Amino acid sequence: MERRPYFVFGDVLTSVGSGGLAGLVCAAVIGTGWNMWLGMLVGMALGMALAMVLSFACLLVLFGAMEVMLPSMLSGMLAGMVVGMAAPMGELPAAKGALMGALIGVGVMLFNYAMDAYLSRRASPWTS
Amino acid sequence: MDELTRQRTRAKWDAAAKNFDVMSSRGPEKRWAPYKREFFSAMRGRILFLAVGTGLDIQFFPPNCQIVGIDISPKMLEQARARADAYPGKLELREMDVHALEFPAASFDQVFTSCTFCSVPDPVGGLESLRRVLVPGGELHMFEHTGSRYFPFNLMLNIMTPLARRFGPDMNRPTVANVERAGFRIRDVRHVYLDVVKAIVAEAPASTAG
Repeated sequence: MERRPYFVFGDVLTSVGSGGLAGLVCAAVIGTGWNMWLGMLVGMALGMALAMVLSFACLLVLFGAMEVMLPSMLSGMLAGMVVGMAAPMGELPAAKGALMGALIGVGVMLFNYAMDAYLSRRASPWTS
Repeated sequence: MDELTRQRTRAKWDAAAKNFDVMSSRGPEKRWAPYKREFFSAMRGRILFLAVGTGLDIQFFPPNCQIVGIDISPKMLEQARARADAYPGKLELREMDVHALEFPAASFDQVFTSCTFCSVPDPVGGLESLRRVLVPGGELHMFEHTGSRYFPFNLMLNIMTPLARRFGPDMNRPTVANVERAGFRIRDVRHVYLDVVKAIVAEAPASTAG
């Protein structure tokens, strides 16, 4: 599990930034007239695409490769799905969408750290 | 591997060479530096280093080793030249494809790879080539990113692969299984990040025939 402050900061920025950006854009794009399931699907695709762009544009260069791409894409996808479902159900300001996305990013980061701590103890030849 | 695939692979990595250091030298290499330093500290005897790239890994090589570094991309090797010249040991760079290694059988005691088998077009064939040039009982050391066994990481890697492979590597290769398929015996697998980035140590069989 990562403990160096620079990279921990990078991990927070990656997950919170990707989730926040996905939430912000999805809340702005998906409106109350949308079907909830369509909103979820569009939010998922949009969130992943935005996270990928953010990763390749700056985060990868600064903070790592797989360690950036996986949490970033996961944060973007989940934030897009949740905000994409929430936006059709009622008025959702972009700032609130961004906050929801950022919180999801925090959750993804914690999940990622927990999985990394778990898997770093398991090193078996059966895995991929 | 056919000539068209070889040319395409060379062209892809020639194109990537220009920005390779910008993309990799700060984030990924600094993040992996402690793991790579430990990984390369196992270098002993006559060593083949596969896919030297722009030579970013040379900084982690222990001094006074006898290494041949190969790469399919002449543009990558051009950039690696200065780093190879600065290495305090014997480091020879050669343009070569892993599927058609120009070395006699049993030429090396160890083979090292670093983020290579995500990109080799025929990974099992490439690993079999490496097995041929290793002495019986020789060691294969790999620092690789692979697919994951766990959801949702495997889903993400599968989604990313079709796009990533256009510009660089596959994200979901079963590299440990490929090493076994190529006839090596796995000695150790250590996870560096999740079960996605890992260090693999394998051993060529006592007889390299076949």
